[in-house]
Amino acid sequence: MKTRTWIIVLSSAVIVFAIWWLFISNSLSPSKIVGIYQNGNLVEKIDLNSVTGEREITLSGEFGKNVVLVSHGHIEMKSAECPDKICVKHGALEKSGTPIVCLPNKVVIQFEDTSDDVDAKTGVAG
Amino acid sequence: MKTRNLILTAILTALALVAFTIEAAIPPLTPIYGIKLGIANVFTLFALYALGTRYAAALLFLRIVLGSIFTGQVVSFIYSLTGGVLAFLLMVLLKRFFPLKQVWILSVLCAVMHNIGQLLAAIFMTSTVQIIYYLPVLVVSGIIAGAFTGLCAQLVFIRLKKWSESRYS
Repeated sequence: MKTRTWIIVLSSAVIVFAIWWLFISNSLSPSKIVGIYQNGNLVEKIDLNSVTGEREITLSGEFGKNVVLVSHGHIEMKSAECPDKICVKHGALEKSGTPIVCLPNKVVIQFEDTSDDVDAKTGVAG
Repeated sequence: MKTRNLILTAILTALALVAFTIEAAIPPLTPIYGIKLGIANVFTLFALYALGTRYAAALLFLRIVLGSIFTGQVVSFIYSLTGGVLAFLLMVLLKRFFPLKQVWILSVLCAVMHNIGQLLAAIFMTSTVQIIYYLPVLVVSGIIAGAFTGLCAQLVFIRLKKWSESRYS
């Protein structure tokens, strides 16, 4: 293919994927129910609207501890002992498209989709 | 001739390691895994065109292993390796379709492949499919980073080729 064709193909790919990213990273979650997962297993499921006061959840993994801070309508990774601390820099969990991920300790915090969530239907309690 | 290639591979590996270590020392720009320039790949691409598949493969493998040891990022080893191997296979497969002036396009495709490989490794490691949400941003960053590193390798290679031809022929 000609270089010109490639440039058109690649720049349209950039535009399409950038719009896609903007769309999903700005879509607010319909529910306020979050799930905390470690190694793919559900550790705890919390309805952020029913939380009163502040609570800390400590998870330990291969690379030390992760401390999750939960308060009314708010969840964030407060601290982590892993080397990169990308999960802490992520800030509070706000959008459904951008789950909090800690790769070293394999922790994922995400909004649960209440409409078609298999786990919710099969009744896996938090 | 073989000794020359061996030494060149060693020098390029050392350079790639320096680039990798310096880049690893820069704090991540975004709170998203996998978004970085990947300057070390300039050397892999360069080696592929200047020395051939075997030497480039040796460079890549050594860079990933030693790079993980030097930067102490044991976590990133498995992701680097998955992404690196997939991208390298694609690079070798598609190389013949891209003339020297289009090396940067090959680099873009490989960078995207690298990021997809890393994402798949992350999904596998955490057993959480939802990380796939990060796919679009990783594709965009892969295209931009790949174009940059590919252009670097391409320009250096073409200039060095002209230079050595004018000098030795």
